[in-house]
Amino acid sequence: VNDRKKPATGAAKRGARMAAMAAGVTGTYLGYFAQSLFLGERARKRKLDETNTRAARRITKELGGLRGPAMKLGQALSLQAGVLPDEMLMELASLQAGAPPMHPSLVKAQVKSSLGRLPDELFRSFDNVPFAAASLGQVHHAVTRSGQPVVVKVQYPGIREAIAGDFKWFRTFNRGTQLSRMVPPPIVDELEAQISAEADYYRETEHLSFFARALRPLGYVCVPEPLPHLSSDRVLTMSRVEGNHIERYLQSKPSQRERDLVGERLLELFYFQILRLGTFHSDPHWGNYLFKPEGGIGMVDFGSVKRLEPRFVSNLRAVFLYPGDRDAGEFTELMAERYGMFGRKMTRRTRSALVRFSKEFYGKVYPPEEEREQQAIDFADPAIMKSYLSLSSDLLVARAALPEYAMLARSETGLYLTLHRLKARVRTSWLVRGQMTEPAGPSRAGENARGRD
Amino acid sequence: MPARSKPSPVRRKIPRKPPGATTRRPPRTTTRARRTTAPTGPRGIGVRARHKDALRARILHAALALFQTRGFDDTTTRQIARRARIAEGTVFNYFPTKDDIALYFLEREVDHAIATVRQDPALAKAPLEEKLFALIQAQIEFLTPHERFIGAAFVSALRPASKIGFSLQAAALRDRYLAFVDELITESFPRGRRPALSWFAPHAFWIYYLGVLLYWLHDSSPGKQNTLAFLDRSLKLGVKVLKRGGVA
Repeated sequence: VNDRKKPATGAAKRGARMAAMAAGVTGTYLGYFAQSLFLGERARKRKLDETNTRAARRITKELGGLRGPAMKLGQALSLQAGVLPDEMLMELASLQAGAPPMHPSLVKAQVKSSLGRLPDELFRSFDNVPFAAASLGQVHHAVTRSGQPVVVKVQYPGIREAIAGDFKWFRTFNRGTQLSRMVPPPIVDELEAQISAEADYYRETEHLSFFARALRPLGYVCVPEPLPHLSSDRVLTMSRVEGNHIERYLQSKPSQRERDLVGERLLELFYFQILRLGTFHSDPHWGNYLFKPEGGIGMVDFGSVKRLEPRFVSNLRAVFLYPGDRDAGEFTELMAERYGMFGRKMTRRTRSALVRFSKEFYGKVYPPEEEREQQAIDFADPAIMKSYLSLSSDLLVARAALPEYAMLARSETGLYLTLHRLKARVRTSWLVRGQMTEPAGPSRAGENARGRD
Repeated sequence: MPARSKPSPVRRKIPRKPPGATTRRPPRTTTRARRTTAPTGPRGIGVRARHKDALRARILHAALALFQTRGFDDTTTRQIARRARIAEGTVFNYFPTKDDIALYFLEREVDHAIATVRQDPALAKAPLEEKLFALIQAQIEFLTPHERFIGAAFVSALRPASKIGFSLQAAALRDRYLAFVDELITESFPRGRRPALSWFAPHAFWIYYLGVLLYWLHDSSPGKQNTLAFLDRSLKLGVKVLKRGGVA
């Protein structure tokens, strides 16, 4: 960790200078973000000296105050470029991006500009004070005229232009620097496509309906229902989902057994989306998960959803829990096939980075041997996350990144982070296997077949 | 404060209102209110005055409809009279020129915006930037149905002979508006703690307001949301500058 931090300071300074310049000229969100991220060098350094997770969490809390699409971009980039220490990355990866906070008059104006009428005319009651920041906006409680409690997500005006502007700036900046080796242009394109899709609430309405139907087999997940007549591209009204955010949930001191159950469900939910649906919720912020007593999970904010190509999914199925030798020919062929899908050749360097990742992380966290299938992995161990992050950035250095990885990695990071905070013990391989069998069986999460009970 | 209670010289031909009557008149949210005036109005306002008010509103309503469809420059007084179904001479009695109609409209716009800010209890304790936002937003909402006319009036106001830009009435209207802005600034600072720059703030605000109007006229984003974003960000910055005495 330590030797990676030193050159980063230089890069950070360069970045800061560029950012300060760009902020002065274009006034983008990204500029402000980068400025405050890097320029508070002295204050930041003091805090960084105590490189434990707690300090990092405090810093990210401050970073959390920064908002705008740049937050999302910065989050993804910092993860990719490996310029920050791991503890901070862990926290950053989970950060919720938000737009600048809106005062009630602006919320009213935005609702009116988008739905044609003021909130007071559209709802029986509308809470002017937001209860949460959302992707690129904020969320308000309200009650419809028919008495249904709902949440209303209101987007900060002009956000789409801001996103386009930020990415234009970033491309210019990226072109001339070493950073482009770390963040290849296709990945930047992928990020832009995803982030600007998040700004389209019509699309999110479709996602909500899709997931409400598709996740039904996993009885424990609850998804909000959209109210199309009170929604537009910039305002989204949906039914209220009960439950607490992870902080609150952990304060209620759930038992180890319950945390294990929730952890298993989260992991199962993740692999169900990838392997069965080929579509997944790719905003890993833990504000997007609500926890109910008895282990129920509410999932909100479907702004960021990624669809995977079927052949990519079948490749994942073949690679997951690969039983044979990962150094050998067949595994290499599978990986080469994956790269071929994207018109990429797998170089030697790429291959060895991939094999290393597969062996050192997946082989350990998802033991492929049948006899170890029931083994629970204890995510309380921070080494899991650290190894995941450092191997991911090795992948980037080896230019092994595929556009598909950007969102997958974002989501996976969020999952491990949540499991770590839950201190959950999860039978990873058993659950993944459950999503690879045909036909689909009932949920395996929390099922009593575990050896340890 | 003083400018608001000063008898306004704007309304030479408008005898019906006592000075400072902005809040007494029930706020008219749209110009379509012309026929809704009940025959029995509040006591104290004469029948003739009410009649004149109604007629003035009727002329304005007809004129605005024509400005929007035909354009400000191409609309004649005769067309206005015909549309309002009154004699052309009557129009002249009330409004000697088209510019006077425009000014009357702008006066009502300012009345409406001030009333909106003052009548919203939620705004009483809001930060300065939100009050200013609500003020401009109320103006823009008032202007929205007449966007084409505002564009023309904006250009027309730049002519040296324009009453909209350079008359005494226009100056008085602007003073009344800026006095209100000044009032909002004053009330957001504790007594005696007004920032050094605040004497200049209303003047700067006027230029800013014209800029916002121009931005709004040319904003082609859906629902003109870029104007909202621009307003929000610039007001936050402006208030910050004001508070820190000129350093952002």
